[in-house]
Amino acid sequence: MSSTASPPRVEEPPFRRGFDPARHGRRAECDGGRHVPGTKFAGRQFFEGTLTGDYRDFGPYPWRWFLMTSLTKKPAGYGHEAVWCDESSLTLLDDD
Amino acid sequence: MSGPLHTPLCDKLDIEYPVVAFTHCKDVAVAVINAGGFAVLGEAMHMPDQIAADIKWIRDRIGGKRFGIDLVLPSSVPAEKTVDELLAMIPAGHREFEQKIKKKYNVPDPKTAPDIHHWGGLDQKRALQQLEVVFDERVPVFASGLGSPAFLLERAHQLGMQVWGLVGKPRQAKKLIGIGADGVIAQGFDAAGHTGDIGTFSIVPQVVDLARGTKTSVLAAGGVTTGRHLAAALALGADGVWTGSLWLTSRESDVNLPLKERLLEAETEDAVWSNCISGYTMRTTRSPWHDEWLSAEAPDVLKPPLQMILSSNYIQGSLDYQRKDLMTEAAGQGIHYVKEMKPARQILSDIIEEALDVFDRFAAKG
Repeated sequence: MSSTASPPRVEEPPFRRGFDPARHGRRAECDGGRHVPGTKFAGRQFFEGTLTGDYRDFGPYPWRWFLMTSLTKKPAGYGHEAVWCDESSLTLLDDD
Repeated sequence: MSGPLHTPLCDKLDIEYPVVAFTHCKDVAVAVINAGGFAVLGEAMHMPDQIAADIKWIRDRIGGKRFGIDLVLPSSVPAEKTVDELLAMIPAGHREFEQKIKKKYNVPDPKTAPDIHHWGGLDQKRALQQLEVVFDERVPVFASGLGSPAFLLERAHQLGMQVWGLVGKPRQAKKLIGIGADGVIAQGFDAAGHTGDIGTFSIVPQVVDLARGTKTSVLAAGGVTTGRHLAAALALGADGVWTGSLWLTSRESDVNLPLKERLLEAETEDAVWSNCISGYTMRTTRSPWHDEWLSAEAPDVLKPPLQMILSSNYIQGSLDYQRKDLMTEAAGQGIHYVKEMKPARQILSDIIEEALDVFDRFAAKG
């Protein structure tokens, strides 16, 4: 790689924090994924874990994201212990 | 117009044929739209000002007809690290393996190093900025190539826009249909790029069943490259087809010529499902990079985005120096039927003719 210097950290996007007690401790699956950086492609990722109830609302719609921890299923090599999941990409396991 | 190819999707979009081209090339989009089909331009990589410019460019050439824009809405986002932290996480053994591949195949260094410091960033912020352009421009159809568009549906409908979502599982389709999405693209495992693991012939009728009695149109995707595929998709109950690989080698396509030649030569088994490019599993055409990562001596593929950082020099070098033998591109299993470099208009008319032949054949037997 010839690029070695990082630009300044990008500021965090504005979001509103919140907590939904009804989601706290609920087990859920997330049909996740995101844009693959540097490409025109997207990549799917599947997670299963427990929602903490913490959420973040982005944008004016709002676009709600829940924090999932205690991951029991995650993509191979996924290096984090938690993941933020778009609300509508979640399926609550107890509701199936 | 009536006939076996006239579906409710044709009325919904005011088009002649229920064929949707998904493309990253504006010229292809315009050609397909002006030939009576529909086109959705993939803009996931572009910044808002580029998206706005592309929309204007298309509008100036299609005389009031409708078109669509596709973005990737993230649906899961881990905590980010800085690029330098990521670079430091690539093991030395993986660097050595990358260098070994480059030496073995004489892979040139790219003319300009991939600008990894400007990749990605904050997913939600990026998506929201892109969406604002789509809303400002009142793009007739917004398609989400990955995440759920549920959160934006109300605003889009208020602006008179249609909202589509691409799914790989019936349960994702059920959610979209439940919220009143205008279209669901049921994408099978045959497809290019990121796919679910359900085959096209299995997922399409399931999604059709879920959408029955609703206003949601179902588009079949994954391996659709001929008129027979179109006829089959309609027989499964779909309202139309979503096609991608078909247009990569069209005359209008901006895919570079050696890569077009590579795609024209490709067979179904060359469209491999692998995570060696980005760490995410996706279907792309086989290249020496794929072969080496499938070999017994290859280390484990790294997680995203480390694997993409690792592969980026190989990919950029192959493009910069027109090395057809090294190139790779997202392509579906239907690539077997993509054998000529034809104008997009002719590709569309060939599909339509073949599909009509299928229906004529069945009608004659009846």
